[in-house]
Amino acid sequence: MTVEIKKNLAYRRIAGEVFVVDAPRSEMHELNGPAALIWEGLAAGKTKKDLVKAMTAEFEVDGETALADLEIFIKDLLESGLLSAKSD
Amino acid sequence: MHIAGYKLGFESRSKNILSVLKGRYGRFIAKGGADCRFDVSETKGRQTPFKPAVSIDGTCLEIKRGDFKASIDVRTKAGTLKAAANEQCLDAFLRSFLSFLLIRSGGFMLHSAGLVKNGKAYIFPGKSGAGKSTLSKLAASAGAEVISDEINLLKFEKGSFRAYGSPFWGEMRADGRPGSWPLGGIYLLGKAKVNKVSAVAGGEALKLQLRCLVNFDKTPGAAERVLKNASSLLAKAKFERFDFSKANADFLNLI
Repeated sequence: MTVEIKKNLAYRRIAGEVFVVDAPRSEMHELNGPAALIWEGLAAGKTKKDLVKAMTAEFEVDGETALADLEIFIKDLLESGLLSAKSD
Repeated sequence: MHIAGYKLGFESRSKNILSVLKGRYGRFIAKGGADCRFDVSETKGRQTPFKPAVSIDGTCLEIKRGDFKASIDVRTKAGTLKAAANEQCLDAFLRSFLSFLLIRSGGFMLHSAGLVKNGKAYIFPGKSGAGKSTLSKLAASAGAEVISDEINLLKFEKGSFRAYGSPFWGEMRADGRPGSWPLGGIYLLGKAKVNKVSAVAGGEALKLQLRCLVNFDKTPGAAERVLKNASSLLAKAKFERFDFSKANADFLNLI
């Protein structure tokens, strides 16, 4: 399954963290470290393969662990209503 | 009426409406032309919904809640306002409309205490109970000018932020006055046993800033502007944490 950031969200990197504002739901999410990197990668349209590559390059983590972490984080984002499944 | 550099014109045949406007915003009433004009009529309205809702359809901005409905063409800046003739209703409309304008001009409204020292404005954003009104009362008793003990208006002008006189007050129930001051600093207010000023991380400063922001426009465009403005304020202004004991006005020596 491929995913994309929902259209009604505003986000911006400020003071080293990515702040995501879901205005209709009056919610704010704060992403740092790998989470911020993944979010910005998704925003740039990167694939999971690209994201894993970026994670292993940026952090002390092997490919298998990075992929597992990425899948968990994407699941969390889907459950939080920040991502939607994209039809291929 | 001149508030935060905006010239707002109100025309009405309702004596009740005019009486409330003059009584409530007397110090902000000014002669001369207006940037935005509202033809105001009186309506009873309902208690609910209580929270204002903002929507934009093409060039038409609509702001409404149970007891008022405003429609304005953002191109011609002319519109109508149907409102109940009481202070709470007109305050709610003005807060919503000015918040909309400020966010689009690079600024915003903040739930905060604001005071003037050495010609500069110092803003103390804080959640309910943090001590905004206590701090303001203590500052006023020590002779400092208080801009507002509840809602302060910040605008980005010529590369820096300025605080504008606010008609929106909390417990102090003052009238406020027109005026503007360069922003001297922002102190994030928290309760403590001893007064103390300390450094604050950017992320933490941003979070409290956003929590204290007054915004009724729930569109993604507004959220983007808010983040951009908040980021700009973080870059341009000096942010510190202020642990406030609520004991006396000695804190004025710390800012």
